[in-house]
Amino acid sequence: MLGRYRHRANARLAGVLALCLYLLALSGCVTTPRLDPVTEQALPATALLDTVPFHGQRDYQCGPASLAMVLNASEVPVTVDALIPQVFLPGRDGSVQPEMLATVRRQGRVPYRLEGRLDALLTEIAAGHPVVVMQNLSLPAWPVWHYAVAIGYDLPSETLVLHSGLTPEQRTGFARFDATWARSDRWAFVALAPGELPAGSRPEPAIRAIAAFERVQGADTALPAWQALVERHPRAAMAWFALGNARHATSDTAEARDAFREAVTVDPDLAVAWLNLGLLLKDQGAFDASREALAQAASRPGRWQARAREALAEVP
Amino acid sequence: MINILRRTVSLLLIATLLLGSLPVAAAPGTGLVGTEDALAANQTSTDRQQIREILARDDVQQQLLAQGVDPRDVKARVAALSDDEARQMAAQLEDLPAGASVVGALFAVFVILLVTDILGLTDVYPFTR
Repeated sequence: MLGRYRHRANARLAGVLALCLYLLALSGCVTTPRLDPVTEQALPATALLDTVPFHGQRDYQCGPASLAMVLNASEVPVTVDALIPQVFLPGRDGSVQPEMLATVRRQGRVPYRLEGRLDALLTEIAAGHPVVVMQNLSLPAWPVWHYAVAIGYDLPSETLVLHSGLTPEQRTGFARFDATWARSDRWAFVALAPGELPAGSRPEPAIRAIAAFERVQGADTALPAWQALVERHPRAAMAWFALGNARHATSDTAEARDAFREAVTVDPDLAVAWLNLGLLLKDQGAFDASREALAQAASRPGRWQARAREALAEVP
Repeated sequence: MINILRRTVSLLLIATLLLGSLPVAAAPGTGLVGTEDALAANQTSTDRQQIREILARDDVQQQLLAQGVDPRDVKARVAALSDDEARQMAAQLEDLPAGASVVGALFAVFVILLVTDILGLTDVYPFTR
């Protein structure tokens, strides 16, 4: 008997503990997100991009409105009305994330996703890039998904400035903003002209972003973006490889060859760059050099080995 | 005489045909591995992958039409998606959050959200700030 009572008391205690933990976790969301001290030192105390135009949303169209704001800021003179048929989903009364990025590409700008940290967001604003963010203004059970454009911040008062919904330059505390932003896994992107890069870019995501842009807009348009990327990240072999392909597609064969050579100099294990270098040299009639490059590709186990061996056998 | 003429004409024809076909053989894009192909993470054969891409894009096209997108806009919208995005849309368009910022339907939970707004957890009602 006594044992059963003790069990019940334990269960009650566990319940109270669980509730406390739950409340703690909830209030945990409200604490102001801590900035990386290094970034905080490097950032100016305040920033406001007051040249970003404001477009008030109509009905459910915060997606097209947010896009128009960042595109206009990047000198694409597109209107909200022109964007609606490109991004709005009537059946969902809203716009989904992949199509937000796709629409930026159609408008000739490269969408770069940001890392989901407040530091990254503030760094872009400080660099003059307005940032489209996705928030869930409500709780996960009754979501209110929303796109807004972050255009400024103030570190001393810990506030973010957003063009949001019907309110230009709305000021929201870091804590409240981060609570709503965290519910979209801190989804955010900047839309930049080819040739400009986000302030805090890592090479791999940037390569994917530019490759997706190139597919829509062609190698000619993407070329300045690749060029800028290898200047920023000269140790990124894949970026040199992509630059080589873009140059080749725009018939700049000699420059393409140089880029492939740079790729294998930076990373001799990048078999696919050896392969393209070999194929290009073969086209140019430089058979000895071609054989050499293809042999390098063929000697590296992986996806491209079979193809490299085939190509090597075909060199006259 | 006619023989010589015939021979010269046929030689000329062969020469022009050959020259005409040469630029095609040497056109850019022959054989080189594309950047998106090189980035594709999985090791499946590119043919099979390409078929899957086409199917995914076809699927997205159908879904966009079902969501009320104008048929004239659908093709260009699908074409602007990256491979990853097309796959994501094909697999889970229904579950993707659609930014719309609509508050009306939430009236039933008004009180709860009012409290969480005051606590600084949510940002539904601007007058709480």
